[in-house]
Amino acid sequence: MAQRYSSFSSGSTAWLLQRITAAFLVVVLAFHFFNLHFVHHAYEIEFAGSQARMQNIGYFVTMILFLLTATFHGVNGVYNALVNQGIDGAQKRIAQVVLGAAALLLVVQGIRVANTLAGF
Amino acid sequence: MSQSYDRGLIEDFGRWREFTAGMWAWVFHKFTGWVLIGYLFTHISVLSTSMQGAETYNQTLSGLEGLALVRLLEVGLLAVAVFHILNGIRLLFVDLGVGLESQDKSFYASLVLTGVIVVASVPTFVSGAF
Amino acid sequence: MSTQTPDTDSETEQPSSTSHQERRMAEKQARKEQREADEAAAANEIQGETVELKVFRYDPEIEGKEEPRFDSFTVPFEKGMTVLDALIYARDEYDSSLTFRHSCRQAVCGSDAFFVNGSQRLGCQTQIADLDGPVRVEPLPHQEVVKDLVVEMDHFYDQMESVDPFFDTDETPDGEEQRQSRENREEIKLSTRCIWCGACMSSCNIAAGDNQYLGPAAINKAYRFYMDEREGENKRQERLEIIEAEHGVWRCQTQFSCTNVCPKDIPLTEHIQELKREAVKQNLKFW
Repeated sequence: MAQRYSSFSSGSTAWLLQRITAAFLVVVLAFHFFNLHFVHHAYEIEFAGSQARMQNIGYFVTMILFLLTATFHGVNGVYNALVNQGIDGAQKRIAQVVLGAAALLLVVQGIRVANTLAGF
Repeated sequence: MSQSYDRGLIEDFGRWREFTAGMWAWVFHKFTGWVLIGYLFTHISVLSTSMQGAETYNQTLSGLEGLALVRLLEVGLLAVAVFHILNGIRLLFVDLGVGLESQDKSFYASLVLTGVIVVASVPTFVSGAF
Repeated sequence: MSTQTPDTDSETEQPSSTSHQERRMAEKQARKEQREADEAAAANEIQGETVELKVFRYDPEIEGKEEPRFDSFTVPFEKGMTVLDALIYARDEYDSSLTFRHSCRQAVCGSDAFFVNGSQRLGCQTQIADLDGPVRVEPLPHQEVVKDLVVEMDHFYDQMESVDPFFDTDETPDGEEQRQSRENREEIKLSTRCIWCGACMSSCNIAAGDNQYLGPAAINKAYRFYMDEREGENKRQERLEIIEAEHGVWRCQTQFSCTNVCPKDIPLTEHIQELKREAVKQNLKFW
């Protein structure tokens, strides 16, 4: 799993995945915002409510996918922005390692939080 | 070889008045992207308070939501996310080769639509904070 | 002027008439001198409409020009005048050290790409009448300036060379012509128009930041050959590998600046996008 978020040998895979995750995120992010600001209000959110939502297995799986796609899309986006700026050689290697580690950390912590909220 | 004069990128941003639609789109998409990834890390951190128990989670969230500044930042987050989504859809169309002739018009449309959605959402977002 | 002195009766007439005469002659002389001075001044001034040209000057070898500055030239305006015409006038009439590249003056050689009033244009293709004065002429941005309006083009040429901008059919056909269908020619027609002026590369922000990016012109060149049905399959694959490298097509962020400034109206971004899709399709096929 870790390798997915670091370097990419074929530029086309990363490019395509960035677009595919984008399409998925357009829908899910909009849904997430709508759900947590309009259906439920942000200031009303508390543990019990979160748990009730996360215990729905469909919602839970969607949230996990959301986490994975958002992490990929975001970290890959940042990496590409840096390459466009012109980082190279050692700088690029450092960026790959740091971004890869950050992505892994985010996913692991995110899954732990999801499990806690769902009560698993 | 005589030395040559490199004017660098600083000169670039001084020319912002001459930017085309496509350039603004690129600049804004990057900027909103950075904000969103920064937010993602913050968000997971805040939600991690749930691992300290329901009480901590509830207190953290209601504490934050009680601050007017946080409410305003949330409106900002909405603007950033909506623009990134709408311009992102525009970019997906460009990548599919559809509608390239009106790519600049579609950028302006995303800006306008972002504005409309944000303004329409402000009441819901700040209710109870002031 | 006394006429009461009888002694100077005859004298009075003469001095008065002389002085009157002298006065008249003096006035006539004065008028003549004024007229000549006016004509001389007029000869130095330009009659009719003029346009102000503000040109970027820089020369590391001349004292006073080591720091870039803008020089102003007032150029007489003629109908149909281009930026190149104005620059040549300025160079011929005012400052022969004004340096800029130009050759064909008909938008086919690609030598005179400048940054005119904030956008990349060919000097010979830009009408003064279409511009708001004063007309600011600067060297192409994102490239090192050698002198005045002349920029380093080596990097641009390197990127062009790196995509193998030549035709290669793997094997030469025996005896027969290499035919290209009309449809195929139509497909690549626009991409063949590139005059290597460098305007596109200079307008691309990613080309500015990432030194290894091939750039729109080079990718368009690759497109011109890749899409040509007469090219050999081996060469096509080689070309694809070059442009799908990390600093190839994927660096393009569809900013569209290249398409906007191309003086030959080549839809550069569209061509780059087509190659991206092509690369994705080729890689998917492999799976």
